[in-house]
Amino acid sequence: MELFVQLVVTGVMLGSIFALVALGWVLIYKCSGVLNLAMGELTMIGGYVCLAFYQRFVTFMPLGYAFFFALVGTIFVGLILGLVTERLFLRKMIGEPILAVIMVTVGLSFFFKGMVFIIWDTDTQVFAPRVFSIEPMVVAGIAVGEVYFWSFIAAMILMVIFVSFFKYTRWGLSMQACADDEMAALSLGVSAKFVYALAWAIAFMAAGVGGTLLGNINGLNYSVSMLGLLVLPVVVFGGLNSVPGAIVGGITIGILQNLTGGYLDYYFPGGIKEIAPFIFMVIFLLFKPYGLWGWERIERV
Amino acid sequence: MSYLPCGTYFESYEDDQKWWRTPFIKGKMILMVVLLIFLPYIVGSQWLSVAYTINYYILAALGVQLLIGYCGQITLGHAAFVAVGGYTSAMMILFVPWPQWIVDYGLAYPISIVCAGFLAAFWSVLFGLPSARVKGFYLIMTTMAAQWITVPLVITQYVSQIGGRGQSFSLPPGTVSIGPWVIDTDEKIYYFSVVLVLLCLLAMGNLLRSKIGRAWIAIRDNDIAAETMGVNIVTYKLLAFFVAGFFGGIAGAYYISALFFVSPEHYEWFFSLLWVGIILIGGVGSIQGLVFGSIFVVMVFKLLEIGVLGLSEMLMVSYPELGWVTTKIIFFKESAFGLAIIFFLIYEPNGLSYRYWQLKNYFNLWPFSYTGK
Repeated sequence: MELFVQLVVTGVMLGSIFALVALGWVLIYKCSGVLNLAMGELTMIGGYVCLAFYQRFVTFMPLGYAFFFALVGTIFVGLILGLVTERLFLRKMIGEPILAVIMVTVGLSFFFKGMVFIIWDTDTQVFAPRVFSIEPMVVAGIAVGEVYFWSFIAAMILMVIFVSFFKYTRWGLSMQACADDEMAALSLGVSAKFVYALAWAIAFMAAGVGGTLLGNINGLNYSVSMLGLLVLPVVVFGGLNSVPGAIVGGITIGILQNLTGGYLDYYFPGGIKEIAPFIFMVIFLLFKPYGLWGWERIERV
Repeated sequence: MSYLPCGTYFESYEDDQKWWRTPFIKGKMILMVVLLIFLPYIVGSQWLSVAYTINYYILAALGVQLLIGYCGQITLGHAAFVAVGGYTSAMMILFVPWPQWIVDYGLAYPISIVCAGFLAAFWSVLFGLPSARVKGFYLIMTTMAAQWITVPLVITQYVSQIGGRGQSFSLPPGTVSIGPWVIDTDEKIYYFSVVLVLLCLLAMGNLLRSKIGRAWIAIRDNDIAAETMGVNIVTYKLLAFFVAGFFGGIAGAYYISALFFVSPEHYEWFFSLLWVGIILIGGVGSIQGLVFGSIFVVMVFKLLEIGVLGLSEMLMVSYPELGWVTTKIIFFKESAFGLAIIFFLIYEPNGLSYRYWQLKNYFNLWPFSYTGK
């Protein structure tokens, strides 16, 4: 029972990172209808950029500050990269068939992956010196790794910031309007191009932070992009265009992944932990193709 | 279908649907076959291996072209089915206790190819089942799940461990043979692949001229309309997955004759995406496009390899610190491939086969072509 509670708690904390990345994915889909398969690579880029900043900063400032400023720098780089990517590649694909748009994001993922490995090599890199201590924190008898705890806090803070950004700011409202009915939003003076650019920038920023946190947990290598790809089961579970769905889905997938890792690994040795969300997704799709809160699309000839 | 030359017309549908519609097309095809036969005498062994890699990509992407280009079912997990084919064939050769006469007549490998095709086809149908209920992005998810479940989980963790051989099965020399011919040199691999490719393309072309092919195209264009016209879409979608998986299995089984071993890294997700990229570069919904795309991608990879290696060798003399470039050639390839997909989709969305179509029409209609666009 203790193991169960511990797995669930760690799962919630891991899942909050997935939820953060999934939020960026859902945003792009809601605003511009692009199904983004490059999310894993965006996550990986974020991790590597943050590592580069951190290694530079840590030479002349205390550990905590260095990490904080590295994170801020990652968010800033994510903003720039998001705007550039959208402007160069995705804007030209508005209104193209679904396969073409998806394959552009696949092309982006190849490009980014190749670039990351050309610049930073494929060996596992860790944040050294460690940002978070290796000693677990014990709260009410449950041991939780410090890195998980702070990831959870950071992901929650960012999610609150993003959600309140949609709800209360002018830009966020125009994004909501565009997602709801693009034609109506355009006729009311909302600039669709601006909204698309903003959506990509936010997705890059969210994925960058997610990648940094994931990189702090296990070290940075290609598997971070595999973890970033877990965003796909998350959004399928929650519904493609639902922000609450992304958050609930992320936490669910995090718990599911940890539970399968904890209990089933004994019976199915090997990579069951990474694959379980995808198996779950296929079975879930058969019963509820539109996820928990996704919009059901009615087709006419 | 391009326009026919001036003055050529047909009076029956049979004539219109023929393989060789004009003597010129017939001559062109015969010339191509002759060229394919004599290719090993023209080019060196380095380019011969490029040629049979092209053939492998054609075979593997054939199923992708069928699913995406002709049936509208987007798949991003075709490497899984190719992997099933490759592993089935390799394991049948290695572990099945064949009677001596089958080994003597060299039938083990041909039988394993057919079995590989069928097993991959059934595996493909299994993952095609959700297509009855979902489509578009959700179908992409299930085919991706096929990739994740098959290659990293089932094959790497379980199948590869059979016999305690670690990660890869290697085939002892002499076991891969068709009848009296042992496939061991580049020329033999090449000829074998050419025969397979021609047979598979012929089968595919004939399928598309039949009732089945028309049903697939109807489903691609509008599946609800096709259903109202009386096409059983579930049956035909699953049939498309079956045939695509069959081609994939054959491709996998063929490629073990070129590699002499199988290991999971030949069937990574990258290859699933590569084959979709090939048909996008070549042209969706065109068999010629498939061939053009395969040639383009493999040649770009090869030229990039030659170019980067040559450049780094040249620069190494004066800048020895640039040695890292040679070790990262694969990432240059990946980046270039990613950019190629993006630029083709943005600037040449109809693919290479569209340009070929335009060229053909230009010559067919010359001198009376009118340029509308």
